[in-house]
Amino acid sequence: MSSQALLYVIVLPVTWLLLWRLNSARSRQVLLLITSYVLYASWGLRFLALLVCSSLLNFALGGWLRRKLSAGRLWLGVLFNVALLGTFKYVPALAPLLPSPVSSPLADIVLPVGISFWTFQALSYLFDVYREEELDPSLVEFLLYMAFWPTVLSGPICRLSGLLPQFRAPFEPGREDVRRGLDRICMGLFMTALGQLLGAGLHPGQGVDSIFDSSKGGLTGPDVWCLAIGYGFELFFNFAGYTHMVIGAARAFGFMLDENFDRPYLSTNASEFWTRWHMSLSFWIRDYLFLPLVMLRREWWWRNFALVLSMVVFGLWHKGALLFLLWGLYQGILLVLHRQWQLLQRHYEWQFPPPVMGPLSWVVTFCAICLGWVFFRANSLSQAFAMLRAAANPGTYGSHTLAGSVYLLVAALALGYFVAIGGQQLLRKYWEGLTVPLEARFALYAVAVYVGVLHAAQTQAFIYFQF
Amino acid sequence: MKRLFTLFRWCACLVVFVVALEVCARVDDVLTYGAPFWGPYNDDILLQRDSIGKWGRPGARYAKWQLNSLGYRGPELRPGSLRIITMGASETFGLYEAPDQEYPRQLERDLNSWAGKDVFQVVNVAFAGETLPTAILRVPQIVDEIHPSYALIYPDLSSYIWMSMRTESAAKPPSQPRISFDSRLAGRVGNLLKQTLPTEIQNELRKVSMRREIASRHYVVLDRLPEDRVEHFQHDLTTLIATLRDHGVEPVLVTHATVFHKPLVESDHVPLTTWRKIYPMLKEEGFLDMELRMNAVIRRTAADEHVPLIDADKEMPHGPTYFADMVHFTTFGAGVMAGILANGMEPILAPQVERAANGISQAGVGNLQTNPSTTPQRQ
Repeated sequence: MSSQALLYVIVLPVTWLLLWRLNSARSRQVLLLITSYVLYASWGLRFLALLVCSSLLNFALGGWLRRKLSAGRLWLGVLFNVALLGTFKYVPALAPLLPSPVSSPLADIVLPVGISFWTFQALSYLFDVYREEELDPSLVEFLLYMAFWPTVLSGPICRLSGLLPQFRAPFEPGREDVRRGLDRICMGLFMTALGQLLGAGLHPGQGVDSIFDSSKGGLTGPDVWCLAIGYGFELFFNFAGYTHMVIGAARAFGFMLDENFDRPYLSTNASEFWTRWHMSLSFWIRDYLFLPLVMLRREWWWRNFALVLSMVVFGLWHKGALLFLLWGLYQGILLVLHRQWQLLQRHYEWQFPPPVMGPLSWVVTFCAICLGWVFFRANSLSQAFAMLRAAANPGTYGSHTLAGSVYLLVAALALGYFVAIGGQQLLRKYWEGLTVPLEARFALYAVAVYVGVLHAAQTQAFIYFQF
Repeated sequence: MKRLFTLFRWCACLVVFVVALEVCARVDDVLTYGAPFWGPYNDDILLQRDSIGKWGRPGARYAKWQLNSLGYRGPELRPGSLRIITMGASETFGLYEAPDQEYPRQLERDLNSWAGKDVFQVVNVAFAGETLPTAILRVPQIVDEIHPSYALIYPDLSSYIWMSMRTESAAKPPSQPRISFDSRLAGRVGNLLKQTLPTEIQNELRKVSMRREIASRHYVVLDRLPEDRVEHFQHDLTTLIATLRDHGVEPVLVTHATVFHKPLVESDHVPLTTWRKIYPMLKEEGFLDMELRMNAVIRRTAADEHVPLIDADKEMPHGPTYFADMVHFTTFGAGVMAGILANGMEPILAPQVERAANGISQAGVGNLQTNPSTTPQRQ
């Protein structure tokens, strides 16, 4: 737990209590804005200055665009935001390619926390204005939209149309909001602790992260699959756990944020996976990049190209690195393959029995998605390709080099996840009205706080903070 | 009535919350360290008290600290090895390093890697808070159990700030571990706050606590350590060297390294305040002056007594990468310290290694060491 986390724990309950005392929406917005700025400033005053400048400029650009809707004005706004993001995100990555007097100051540029998230929120505002959506935020409302404390660090990437009515609504979170909010925060704490456990392992040097970072050579096929699946779950537990906490905290304040995950590892094809994983970014890419692109031409190849291009942008959004480009490319190819398969099915009217096709599709999708995480996590291109070579070589499947505890941990958490989902569905089906006594609920909260905060006091930063 | 019931219920929830946290902490200890669920669990488990003073409890384990069957931190004795003991206090015992990464363990690996085979065993006979007078009294017992050939002496200097001018011998009766209720949650919350509170706030809190302690205990605050204590240190050091030699152990002196840069940099002020909080009777500048004078004593003693010297004070880099607080090493720092000691020990140990390599090996090493082939067990 960091000093920032302590600040959140202190500031948010105070804000929650103060909000009850304020009657007008404007004063509540101002208080929320001050809270958001104070919390964001704890990550760096320079970051806050940048966020404020970007917000003011985007607000001005939005107003200017609304006065006269023109592609030129929209492009100017897009260029400004892409340039801002590029300066902080991609220039340092390119710096080593430049001559030394120029490269050293550029390489030292620090990435402001959450810039990818709030810049995409600003872009969605400009696109929505251009599409003539009914958006007319005041300056305070727009500043709050950009800096809103639950979402500013790592999303979910929200749309102004979703938040604006909530900013204007009375502050009246009910008992149910608080209860559900706390439930989700606790769920998030559990999940991030599980993610940390996968990363660190049961014994020193036997976690997914430590094995990736040790650049251990001589991995066999089973080792690569174990690491790929392990990292897939680590990332899921970490990011989905963080998202649970964010959505839960916002819910306790009466705000309903968009969901970011919907049991993605149950997907039976790549297209479905991308409607269940990091949904706010996925839908952003779909609405503001893929759909406009696909409208340009009707040919089949263009549609597939647009799919691949969108996923490459998706990959590069994370980081300006070749590995992320390849990860996006790989996901784009998976989407194209799935689309071509659908076309073939329709064309030849293939009908497969669902009891066979369902599990088979799930296995293929799960394996394909997990294998892709190798690009996402590998420390170098050579490490990624060495791992993929091992996975593709049947001769390496007779042995394993990783400790048994790594396999045990990954298997236990992956199976445990699916069992938990099954159990949750059974509970919903048979004990719909089941209520947990308040005391038992507090005991569960205590376990979550212990596991997520006290035990994991040395916890790593959330993986998505780096993006 | 309803309001009272609601209040009661919320109080019950709060109690349930705290009790559940305490249970979690205890279950965590059971699963992670094999600690008992009930009863006390603190660092007292590691130590026992005998007629000389505190001493390691054979086979004891507390959190990451594991003692062997003789009560020393580290693995069991390995028959057929040339043994080097490391004497000192918490810096040597190891506080912040990852398990098996304290400098004596890393030194053993470095020396064996240099020798090309497992010739050496470094036995860590230090304990947190051990003073030189106690160490002197322990020498016969240590030699009897370990039969070391060399003793690396990395003395704790700050104990001389408040130690009385007599030894601690038989000062206190044997004690049992504390049996009062110890909340295991409280310790964790404390650690969490230490990690979470900004350094500046923690430093101010330390200053407040320090001022309070000075006022309540009526400490006379010293600008510098009195000369008689430095002389006492020199006397103890000379006695320890003589005692070790009397028992056939060759001493090697090591000067004391700290986190502090010379001259001080901004980041040094926090650990300096932390140090002063432990010894509020000495002003901040007094610690640096003490290190300077005591290290001069170590150098002078080494020259006078013809004892090999490893000048860790000069060779060890400073700063938080190497030290977790004012004097205790990080895992990385312990590695650097081990490297410095290995470099210093290699010329001393070279003849043995050479002889071992020239075929006199087993007999040669066997003649040089006095350790028996069986491992003694302390009851």
